[in-house]
Amino acid sequence: MIKIGCRGCLLWCLLVAVGSGFFFWPVEATAQEEVASAIRRYKDREASTGYYEEYEVRPRRQRPLVGVPGVARGVFPYSPSAAAVRVTTRLADSHRGVQFYYNRRCQDCHPQQAKDYHTTREKLTCRQCHGGEPIASIQHYYSPLNPIRRHAYVCAKCHQGASASFASYVVHEPSPAALETRQSFPVLFYAFWIMVALAGGTFLVFLPHTILWGLRELLARRRKHGEQD
Amino acid sequence: MSRIRRFTLVQRLFHLLLMLSFLTQAATGLGRMYIETSWGSLVASFFGGYELSLTIHRWVGLFMLSLLGVHIIYVLATIEWRGFPKRLMGPDSLLPHKDDLKQALGHVGWMVGLAPQPRLDRWTYWEKFDYWAVFWGLFILGGTGLLLFNPVASSHILPGWGLNVTLWVHRIEAALAMAHIFIIHFFIGHLRREQFPMDLVMFEGSVDRDKLSHERPAWVERLQREGRLEDLEVPPKPLRWRVAYYIFGYTAMIACLFLFVGALSYSRLVTW
Repeated sequence: MIKIGCRGCLLWCLLVAVGSGFFFWPVEATAQEEVASAIRRYKDREASTGYYEEYEVRPRRQRPLVGVPGVARGVFPYSPSAAAVRVTTRLADSHRGVQFYYNRRCQDCHPQQAKDYHTTREKLTCRQCHGGEPIASIQHYYSPLNPIRRHAYVCAKCHQGASASFASYVVHEPSPAALETRQSFPVLFYAFWIMVALAGGTFLVFLPHTILWGLRELLARRRKHGEQD
Repeated sequence: MSRIRRFTLVQRLFHLLLMLSFLTQAATGLGRMYIETSWGSLVASFFGGYELSLTIHRWVGLFMLSLLGVHIIYVLATIEWRGFPKRLMGPDSLLPHKDDLKQALGHVGWMVGLAPQPRLDRWTYWEKFDYWAVFWGLFILGGTGLLLFNPVASSHILPGWGLNVTLWVHRIEAALAMAHIFIIHFFIGHLRREQFPMDLVMFEGSVDRDKLSHERPAWVERLQREGRLEDLEVPPKPLRWRVAYYIFGYTAMIACLFLFVGALSYSRLVTW
């Protein structure tokens, strides 16, 4: 029989407690870095790390100063008459009235818009160009992305000296291969398919040519030294 | 075993510089294009990462364009203007000729066993294609590349949305050029049975006379008829040089294979 003293018993209990701690330790939430307030914790984080606007944060929970007259807050009433008021491309707050807006991220509703090079390669966030809340429609007169000032207010932040012509670069580029692009960006569509036809045509000639040649030489009788065909 | 010279030192140097710069452009371009993938960042890391890859890509691109300029001057200087323009239509010229089409058809006929092997002269139709394809490629890639060199400046001469188009043209032409070099050029030049393991002629400059009279009988006969064959005879290169050519050539081919296989297998992971 093994005798365990009082101290040993205590030590044993401690060991079991620590050991089981490994099993019951809560899993670290991956979303911990995302904070709800754009004002407090996220700004602190930016200041302490030196990395600004690395993460997309949820819109702040405060009412934007602009709004639709007659609509106090919350869900925009969908009705035929209201729809006439709401021209989505020209709103001061383009997301006003969108249900559960504060619980969503940009790419929940705009998945395709998050697949451009500025996002995937340069790691820009939506807000770095589209601005903070309230996000204005691009055609809204005071929007920083309005084509009349986009080059100066947005593009030139990184591309020094950007002109209005430069700002017509299509950041959210449609797929050049897609048939819809023939309507929205015909030059890109035709340039793409002409180049593909050029490349395809080259290989249509040279691939069979090369394969046939390789097979023919592989199966040919070995030429003796100095022998002429 | 006598050897006949096919390429001068300057011509070999052009090929060497073109080859090295092409490989650099392929690697830096692919590294950037695939930067979202682990493979792409590995390739880009050889060149100092995403940003530095682009810097290298830009300057090597300018180097290639100046190489093209020097080559055009070289060609203009080496053309024998005395026989102009008749000589330019002759068999010593790289200009396309109607006989090329005949030879191409004859060659395909030979491949399927319908015709005897065509009697090729100094430049074959596929070599002429490869030669002019570099011009075609450098004009498209160089032209779009110059526009993309400084997008802010080039948006003064074309609308900004033109850069979307320019980038796609650059990219597809680059894919065509790389695929052509990595599949067709390497196979015809080095991997088919007659040339395996490697055709050293572009490095060594000369080719064995027996092999040449099998490969290009019309040229050898023409040289013999004109009594110029002996003038082109050169001594073989020492063994250590040949070993160096093999090592260099295979290093380049393996690097290209790495780029080709990586680009194909990781293409699904890239946001296009």
